[in-house]
Amino acid sequence: MGVPFKQIVVYLDGSESSMTAIMYGIKLAKEHDAKLTAVYVVNTRALSELVKAGIFVSIERDEYQRDLQLDADRYLRHASRLAQQKQVLIETVKLEGTVHVVMKELLKSSKADLLVLGGVTDIRSRREELASETDRMLRTSPCPVLVVRDDDDIWLEFEA
Amino acid sequence: MNVLDVLDRNLVKVPLMHTDKQGVITELVEIMAKAKGYSSDQFEDVLNAVLDRESLGSTGIGNGIAIPHAKSDVVEHVSLVVGISKLPVEFDAPDGQKSRIFFLVLAPSKEASAHVELLASIARSCTSQVFRRMLEQSRDSDEVVRLFME
Repeated sequence: MGVPFKQIVVYLDGSESSMTAIMYGIKLAKEHDAKLTAVYVVNTRALSELVKAGIFVSIERDEYQRDLQLDADRYLRHASRLAQQKQVLIETVKLEGTVHVVMKELLKSSKADLLVLGGVTDIRSRREELASETDRMLRTSPCPVLVVRDDDDIWLEFEA
Repeated sequence: MNVLDVLDRNLVKVPLMHTDKQGVITELVEIMAKAKGYSSDQFEDVLNAVLDRESLGSTGIGNGIAIPHAKSDVVEHVSLVVGISKLPVEFDAPDGQKSRIFFLVLAPSKEASAHVELLASIARSCTSQVFRRMLEQSRDSDEVVRLFME
């Protein structure tokens, strides 16, 4: 474990809260002079589950997989632009698979000492409890986790 | 993204009026169009997108559930309409069972990730037979929302 942090990983999923997380991660990396990595995982497991459940036909799975790849590219490009604004070096990584599983592997292999996540979901229903990938990452991460609350102040401060 | 992120009591209808597949799909799209103030062209666009998807294969998934869905840039964000029918509707489900619980899921093409997550969340929510039975027996939209909140 390194304090101050030397290897920060931010998980992106396209949500507004993950965009807040990347902004926070960029500022943190700058202050700690840490290496910054932004990761997007194309959730191919969810796609397979939807085919198995009969919700997607196979042609649709292929189409959505392409859409998810485009989503990933778009958000990773955005993360790069944000980092460039603040003169912070960033590595972007696109992975595929079961999100919390491939993230755990990446955190281990990259020897990350901090994972930055956007907000975890409010627990509003027993059925949805622990179902989100962000929640699972929070619980299975091999390194410390920082959960960034989706806060307008972070956006304002970043853009200042 | 999960069901509770987009569930809106104004987009829940109990009971649905139609008793055939085309009628139910049209009714679900109408609920969305009315709530969002779509023009008749927008309504047609969304309806055609859902019917085009349906032509690839039925979205009746069995256990009395159907999840008609489509991508449409008429919708701004991932959206959900829930309908419960008193009478079982033939939806060409693989188990041969007629459907009474309907989820219409619409999403713009730029929100593929959220779209996939919402569909997966619906599938997870409906794995429980008890939950499905309670949904089928719900009397109004408030009860449907309450069931998802439990």
